[in-house]
Amino acid sequence: MKSTAEAPPPDQTEFAVRIREAKSRVPHSSVSPPPRFLFLVPDSNLQRIAITGAGIVSPLGIGWKANEASFEADRMAFRPVPPELFGVEGFVAKTAGIVDLPPKVPMPIKTCYADRGSVMLMLALREALAQSGRSTMEGIDAVIIGTSAGAMSLGETYFETAVSDPGRHRRQLSRAEHYQPQRQMNEIAAELGWRGPIIIVSNACASGANAIGWGVEMIRSGRAKRVLAGGYDALAKLVFAGFDSLKALAPSGIPRPFDAARDGLALGEGAAVMILEAEEVRQADALADVTGYATATDLHHLTQPDPLGNAAIRTMTQATLQSGLTPADIDYINSHGTGTPFNDVAEAQAIAAWAGEATSRIAVSSTKSAMGHLLGGAGAVEAVICLMALRGQWMPASLNVREVDPAVKFDLVRTFRRAKVEHALTNSFGFGGTNATLVMKRRSA
Amino acid sequence: MNAIGLHINGVGAVSAAGWSSEELLRAVRDKVELPVTNCPRPGAERPWPCPVRTVPPAPPEKQVRHPRFRRVSAISRYAAAACLEALKDAGFDTPPPRLGILFVMMNGCVNYTGRFYQEVLDNPAQASPLIFPETVFNAPASHIAALLGADGAVTTIIGNSNAIMEALDMAAVWLSCGVCDHCLVVGAEECDWLSAEALTYYHEAHIATEGAGALLVSATGKGPSIQRIAGPLPFHSWKERGELIPQLALPASILIDDHNGIAKHDAAEAAAWSQLTFQARHSPKKLLGESMGASAALQLVLATLESRDQKTSVAVSMPGCNTAAYACVLG
Repeated sequence: MKSTAEAPPPDQTEFAVRIREAKSRVPHSSVSPPPRFLFLVPDSNLQRIAITGAGIVSPLGIGWKANEASFEADRMAFRPVPPELFGVEGFVAKTAGIVDLPPKVPMPIKTCYADRGSVMLMLALREALAQSGRSTMEGIDAVIIGTSAGAMSLGETYFETAVSDPGRHRRQLSRAEHYQPQRQMNEIAAELGWRGPIIIVSNACASGANAIGWGVEMIRSGRAKRVLAGGYDALAKLVFAGFDSLKALAPSGIPRPFDAARDGLALGEGAAVMILEAEEVRQADALADVTGYATATDLHHLTQPDPLGNAAIRTMTQATLQSGLTPADIDYINSHGTGTPFNDVAEAQAIAAWAGEATSRIAVSSTKSAMGHLLGGAGAVEAVICLMALRGQWMPASLNVREVDPAVKFDLVRTFRRAKVEHALTNSFGFGGTNATLVMKRRSA
Repeated sequence: MNAIGLHINGVGAVSAAGWSSEELLRAVRDKVELPVTNCPRPGAERPWPCPVRTVPPAPPEKQVRHPRFRRVSAISRYAAAACLEALKDAGFDTPPPRLGILFVMMNGCVNYTGRFYQEVLDNPAQASPLIFPETVFNAPASHIAALLGADGAVTTIIGNSNAIMEALDMAAVWLSCGVCDHCLVVGAEECDWLSAEALTYYHEAHIATEGAGALLVSATGKGPSIQRIAGPLPFHSWKERGELIPQLALPASILIDDHNGIAKHDAAEAAAWSQLTFQARHSPKKLLGESMGASAALQLVLATLESRDQKTSVAVSMPGCNTAAYACVLG
């Protein structure tokens, strides 16, 4: 951006011209009012953005291979929450998707202050760096990480210690300090040889997708050439209790997204990161491209989606438009698909409204059915699952469906499927109404 | 750094000095001594002092009347009032279309979080489903979006006390990508006993405070623009921070510094800026206390007001506390 003295008249700036062009190209939809919010639109001059590395840690396994094998086997990862994490006495739900962390992960943070989520993030980071041929974060311009709870377990310990005794306590300072996610990430960054801005995005369950999306926009705006972006969250008692109090957790512990009798979600934990590079500076083989990203805010309610899914329609429309695609071009959607009655029907209706006649040809699944809802990590983990699907030419299943909800008009993938996947889309919707959609395109090997 | 060139066309503030940016400026210029109270704590009394400077009760005209604000945390009320003032200050009687919102915080909705977690510890089966959603970091941003009808890009950033600089950088990306035409960048925090106590672990003389500072930024406009930025200067230790701070010193006519009156904390920053002379210098933290996620936002509000009023350049020193240091010049 230029300073005032150098700036052209307001209506002649590159920005103003681009917006005028964008407005002229946005189609009016019959199912929702024309979007008030415009995003980048198809443009041959848009920066091509490659994914050159990705790491994933989920309840299904640590690393790309373990997760792929679990999807192939239609495996689920739910089990009782172990008491060493937290007690579940008094809660309706008793299970979650839990990551089996290796006994010793080298961390720059003292063990008692290293949050589980940070350990997962570190593992995902190392895998992503290795995949892009790096051992450090040198050369990265910016880091954007999404989380909804940060190091909540440290906050819980701080609280419990403080209420147990009004005196001063050793370690409270370090707990307060390491409770802050930017502090945890800063220590990880130092270990991996990187100095630069760390942006922690906290948009609830859309945090990870937003982090990747903002990474894309940083590159497209010229602000950065290489961004490390992703998201994480670890299980924490406060969050578990919160979802339990809302009666959002499936009493059986088994989430059934898009089932007619679904009764709630299961929580999970995990982390995923991507290395995004501008094509002209790309230093490693591209795994796929991010071609579209859009975000919008659903103003309907703090925790419930607009029943018609209007914000989701807007983000899917804008993200595909930005990719130069129509809904019919999308082969696979990794849905937000939590398994709650409100979410799934709104998302199913949004997909139908957005895709129109193409709806029945689009394959959709919810991987939350296998690993649970990873909250701040969900958007990033599900983006990496889309990347894996593009690379492996397969689609993961929506498990546990007994009778498909009548709102579902798309091709619900109910068992692991080998299939052509050229373009994949992932939706993330969060508390507070943050909706985000990412579109990715396969790169030929 | 592409936040350079961003215009700050409107500002708003809520602080211990009152419910407007004007009251904040007046208090800082006149070095008004604001009242300090001892922060109450549930259960047994603490055996050490924990001073706080809280925001005074809201005057009737600053109370937000919107269904979403019936049971929101104080942080949402402060941020809403600051955002509405910033929009009005920028000449918008109604929120403009294509408005983005970037909300910055360090602690967030700590009051409800503490209350909800206590309920969980007492009896998980009776923890309130009404409180839990308000504990989520992005609840305040969601409420502001609902209040203003902002249905586009709305994001919450958690960070260091100067994370608003990262938010301004993101606002510049949004504006240059066409994500929005105007962006409200707001830093806010609320006081509670937990965070106030935590602050005293850093130094017993810290005084916790609360409030919100909002900036309405655009690619063009009549408001002061960000002319220079030093940073981010990432650091991994207090020692490194001290070594980097001299790079923050940027010449300007007025300086808004980060001094809080604790010599040990202020020493490196004081040395860094000592080579430069200023017509005026303000230390809002000495007056208000430590507002964490809101502190740099309040500094930038003051800098904008001074720049507009004195028609001169204003430097803002934001050395930060645990990740990176920044300074910038408005003019």
